[in-house]
Amino acid sequence: MAAGNFVSGHIKMAPSTKKHASGRACVVPGGFTEISLKFTSDSVATHKLYVKEHKVRAQTSHRPMDRTLFLLNVPPYCSEVVIKELFSQFGSVQWVDLRDHPGSSPESGPKLSRFFKPAEKQGFKVGYVVFQNAASVSAAKSHPHDTPLLVCTEQRTVKTGVQKWIEQYTQSFCAPDKLQQVVDSFMEDYDKRKAEEADRQKEEAKQQEEEEEGWVKVSRGPKGTKARPHSEAANKRTLAKESRNRKRKELMNFYTWQHKNMQKDQIADLRKKFEEDKQRIALLRAQRKFRPY
Amino acid sequence: MLTTLAWTAVKQMVPSENQEEESQVSVNGKRSKPEDAGGEGEYHPAKLSRRDLYKPPTAEELNQLKEAESLFHCSLLKMQMEELLKEVVLSERRKQQIDSFIQTVTELLRTVPDSPQVELSDLSWLSSAVKVPFLLVPKTTKGKFHMAPPASVDLIGSYPLGTCTKPRITVDLAVTIPANVLQQKDVLNQRYPRKRALYLAGLAQYLASSSDIGSMRYSCLHGNRLRPVLLLTPSGKDSSSFTLRVHAGPPPGFFKPSRFHPQRNNIRTEWYSGLQMSQGSSEPPTPHYNSSVLGDLLPRAHLQFLSAVSSQCSALADGVALLKVWLRQRELDQGTGCFNGFLASMLLAYLLTTHRISNSMTAYQLLRNSLNFLASTDLTVNGISLARDPDATAPSLAEFHNAFQVVFVDPSGHLNMCADMTASTYKQLQHEASVSMEFWDNPTVDGFDSLLMTPKPMIRTSDHVFQLCELVKLQSSCKKMDLLSELMDHSGNYVQTALPFILTLLQQGLGQRIHLLTHSLSPVPEWPVESEAPKHKDQPPLSFGLLLNPELAASALERGPAADSPTAAEFRQLWGSRSELRRFQDGSITEAVVWGGETMCQKRLVPRQIITHLLQLHADIPDSCIRYVGAMVDDVIQTGSEVPSTGEEESLLVVQSYDDLSRKLWGLKGLPLSITAVQGAHPALRYTQVFPPVPLKVGYSFFDREKTSRSLVPKESKPCPAYITPITVICHMEGSGKWPHDRLAIRHIRTAFHIRLGVLLEKQHGYTCKPCPAHLDVWKDGLLFRIQVAYHREAQVLRERMTDKGLLVVRDNEEAQTLEMATVHKPLLTSTLHGLQQQHQSFGGSCRLAKRWLGAQLFSKDITEDTADLLVASLFLQPAPFTPPGSPQVGLLRFLCLLSSFDWRNNPLIVNLNNQLTAPDYTEIRNDFMASRESLPVLFLATPKDKKQSLWTKRAPSVQMLQRVVVVAAESLKLLEHQLMDREQIQDVRVVMRPPLDAYDVLIHLNPKQVPLLAQAVDPHPVTFSRGLMAGRIAPSGGALPVIDYNPVSLYLAELRDAFGDLALFFCDPHGGTVIAVLWKPKAFVPIGFKTSQMSARKVEVNGEQANTIPNVEAILEDFRILGKGLIKSVDARTEKWSF
Repeated sequence: MAAGNFVSGHIKMAPSTKKHASGRACVVPGGFTEISLKFTSDSVATHKLYVKEHKVRAQTSHRPMDRTLFLLNVPPYCSEVVIKELFSQFGSVQWVDLRDHPGSSPESGPKLSRFFKPAEKQGFKVGYVVFQNAASVSAAKSHPHDTPLLVCTEQRTVKTGVQKWIEQYTQSFCAPDKLQQVVDSFMEDYDKRKAEEADRQKEEAKQQEEEEEGWVKVSRGPKGTKARPHSEAANKRTLAKESRNRKRKELMNFYTWQHKNMQKDQIADLRKKFEEDKQRIALLRAQRKFRPY
Repeated sequence: MLTTLAWTAVKQMVPSENQEEESQVSVNGKRSKPEDAGGEGEYHPAKLSRRDLYKPPTAEELNQLKEAESLFHCSLLKMQMEELLKEVVLSERRKQQIDSFIQTVTELLRTVPDSPQVELSDLSWLSSAVKVPFLLVPKTTKGKFHMAPPASVDLIGSYPLGTCTKPRITVDLAVTIPANVLQQKDVLNQRYPRKRALYLAGLAQYLASSSDIGSMRYSCLHGNRLRPVLLLTPSGKDSSSFTLRVHAGPPPGFFKPSRFHPQRNNIRTEWYSGLQMSQGSSEPPTPHYNSSVLGDLLPRAHLQFLSAVSSQCSALADGVALLKVWLRQRELDQGTGCFNGFLASMLLAYLLTTHRISNSMTAYQLLRNSLNFLASTDLTVNGISLARDPDATAPSLAEFHNAFQVVFVDPSGHLNMCADMTASTYKQLQHEASVSMEFWDNPTVDGFDSLLMTPKPMIRTSDHVFQLCELVKLQSSCKKMDLLSELMDHSGNYVQTALPFILTLLQQGLGQRIHLLTHSLSPVPEWPVESEAPKHKDQPPLSFGLLLNPELAASALERGPAADSPTAAEFRQLWGSRSELRRFQDGSITEAVVWGGETMCQKRLVPRQIITHLLQLHADIPDSCIRYVGAMVDDVIQTGSEVPSTGEEESLLVVQSYDDLSRKLWGLKGLPLSITAVQGAHPALRYTQVFPPVPLKVGYSFFDREKTSRSLVPKESKPCPAYITPITVICHMEGSGKWPHDRLAIRHIRTAFHIRLGVLLEKQHGYTCKPCPAHLDVWKDGLLFRIQVAYHREAQVLRERMTDKGLLVVRDNEEAQTLEMATVHKPLLTSTLHGLQQQHQSFGGSCRLAKRWLGAQLFSKDITEDTADLLVASLFLQPAPFTPPGSPQVGLLRFLCLLSSFDWRNNPLIVNLNNQLTAPDYTEIRNDFMASRESLPVLFLATPKDKKQSLWTKRAPSVQMLQRVVVVAAESLKLLEHQLMDREQIQDVRVVMRPPLDAYDVLIHLNPKQVPLLAQAVDPHPVTFSRGLMAGRIAPSGGALPVIDYNPVSLYLAELRDAFGDLALFFCDPHGGTVIAVLWKPKAFVPIGFKTSQMSARKVEVNGEQANTIPNVEAILEDFRILGKGLIKSVDARTEKWSF
């Protein structure tokens, strides 16, 4: 977890002195404001969202600290679109990011098409809402706790259950030629990146050569860099080979103390084994393993 | 709620739970016995301090260590046997109790008063509180009787010999009827046996007044009604600890042994049947009657003989005890015609006197040698005799063989000790002995456990079992088979009279179809002294077990001799009207019988057809009396509306279609790289899918259409369409330098292959295909195959990672493991198990039943399909002490037995697929397992390809779930065996497939309309829904792509587990379950401090200084409804059970 202030352990929190009067925001210890959320207007129970301004040590450009609202406990049926619309009442929303765990922004990488993205977990999420204005954050934070947000209204129907699954099934289709296009463009991109990388390495090698004032590194094999693979497995192999060599050279039964120690070890081994057998039997006896019926 | 989670009781299934049983459940040993918390129930490697290990050894210690080392395997077995003997021998305290009771009874018996002499049939001298333990048929016989104190009272049998063992301790006391009560002529016409019964009744009448005697019951020796005995127990709290069995007998040598020659008659037909014998015909011999009277004369002599033998051989008593345990586990030591402890002692004595074993052998060697002897000697053909130099009047072995089926003659040379034993029982004994000898030497089997610790009840041992109910019908079969003189010999016991003949008949009819025919030994009746002796018809049903020969058992044709051969008449006589002349393809015309049956499920019951036919034809036993329990459980996996089938045929169809696809894939032209392997990776391709996919024809009007591809899409207004199972096929592509070395690029290339394969299959063979990044779906023959392209280096690429310093490291990760599981391990398992199915026909059926049970009991998430298949495979690969299951039903029973009795905590289950593991491998696996038990999965399965990790059980089950599985399996096994063996049961066998739902906190009831697999439910749903299927011929290719792998229930479950997996467990029967059971995790409901990482579905409760979070239960229940909109019928929250 990169965010510095989200201590994963217990947080020592100041007691809340406010009485939760109706029509006012409810602030729980830890600085979070509680916002209720209902699926439809006739739902009985409400989920509690906990919101707070986003505050971390390392600031990133796409989550500006003053304009970002941090959300906890976002139910699975709230997509990014739904959250965006829900929070638009506090001011216009630039964009919304929903994630499984609080943490830094997605790692960079080649952009993947919808079909290649790994399946998302359909659980409760945390969210980052980036507003246009900083004022919207405080507006959201002072939202009265007894006025729940409504997820599914007449204007905005959120599909769940059978409807949703049928929609999902319908969307899983992708015309083969379209898919082929996606693959082709990715591979093109990949080849380009590979070529760039190779160029860069060549460049670096050349640069190094120049820096070493005309000295050229000479090593075994046809190409200097490939002679010795730079991997952990290779390192281990070399170490093992060395220790084997050392062992071969060592004299085993040369000194009297070596011989004596060996005998002692043997007896210790036997004792250990005997003791283990005894224990095994004792254990079986304790479990009444010998009572035949 | 906590209590339900602890899950110690399954009260729902069976009201009373036995404490004993719970302690046997090894994995929960820790929970149920808090005093064991010190870890007594688990194995810890021995820890010796360095000083202890390295102290200077003494010479004695050195010797001991060396010996233990060299004898390891054997010495462990030896130690185990010693421990076992400690469990069965009588304690000193018990012996003292017994001795003092014997003393009391002996003294009491000596003071029995005389009574005036009366006619034998006059019972007026007896008080009404005591009845005569004898079936008085015919009513009267001549003779006079009076009570007198016994001439002597002696201990006989196992107790004085020291071979008496726990449990059910019986001590035999022989009371000698004084000579003046008996007469030489009493041998005739049951006079002596009746006097014996009267004498016992007299003793009972006298003893009834004594306060030292707890309870008095009658019984009879080994079920022989001519030899009643009186059972006495001490009064007070010891009353159930042992039984004193009082025999009455004539003074030694009172009757001449030669009168009991097996060819002599001692019951006159005239007296017995009231019919006048026609002149000239001789009286039929009465060997069984003779031997039962003779048996009373000899017990003292036998005791003398055995004590003499045992004084020479010190280990005899222990050897007999072990043999008795062995016999008892096989249910051979009790009942009429059993191989009892007395015979066991005599057998060892025989082996000693013939020098097959030596006096200095240990108990272990005695057991081994006696089993070896039993396995190799057929006493039904070559009887043995203990008589050294029998007198001239003693019958020869041949004469014994004529009269009895099994011959083992006692030291006097006159008595056949196995007179009541049927040939079948002896064959069973022989079979058991040879099976035991086979696995004894196998170092990969836990010999001790299989040999002496595993009970083998008939229902779990035999492949098929049937019962003869209403034994009174056997009376008419005696008539039909013309067995009147035999009936007289057995003194009217029509069950014992008819049994050998029925066995011979069945053996003849079943012939090559079976390896072994066994029958239950009629239990010895016991009844209180106040009531009349029970009639023969009161016996419980007689059970027969068949051990099938898998190749021939299900064959529908019984080919007889050629029509003109002399044996044809015999064949016709045996089969009656079923036998007909048939012409075969090879041109021969022979007698033949053809049995009905199209599918495997029907053919499996061919033995049943044979048995009912033969018994009806020859023994007059109607169909209604036969209760055949060969395939009762199979109902739950039955499909097919016209012809019932249990899936063998459907599986075959799938495999054939797959083979065709595989051929076509190999033959595809125009692929940039060639295919190196096509492998199935789905249970349906190894015959173990519970309900194998059936070819379907889809009606288009039922569905919506997708816009671009015109594929079918479910319609919201209609019921959920039929579920189409995707059958996974892995297609390995050739390695090449062209494959990129990057995970994402590999995925894209694989997708390109999926597209290409799809195009080619469509173009060259006309199949409808749907490519997507993960796989290619192919619609073929009304089945759906899901082809996954695999590249063998992909897992390696996934594991490689660059560190910051530019060092290439290889780190195992979950993604790579999942990929290897799907592309390497699953295909391998599928092909291996496919091979196992070819060897054992009932493997697939057993797997399907086992998985059906797991599904029905809501465990399919915990014991996965692959795990279950491996567990069942272990039953076939290492069946000791049984033989490989020959029917799905017995497979299920053994599966339940394995689940409930295996010590999962302390042992790895080694599944030796293809027999690749050797004894050293076993040791290695065990040692590795012991060394790191704590970090390994709770249910540890080792296979030849996976010795250390137990790949298949890494994720599930958890300790709690395994514990639950063990408890439920034990209950189910008990219940099911009861259901199968007891015809009085009201419920059907499906009761073991109905899960107890009381333990769960929330029940989510589903709308059956949206459950696509509803038809597979254990209890068929009253309403059936149209699911878009059409009847008619199924096109092999083409057509619109149907709705694939769309199951709202599993989609819903996945969403629930994603969202609430931290708070609760969700259970559902994957085969048409309409209930999702939810169990809260108790840990989730403990208030915890506010953490941003643990806020899912929780709310904050401010309580003074503290702000704690707890799950927002109302909202969660609401979410259950929201997420499953359209699927949910109701959510039943059982708030009364919650306690948070």
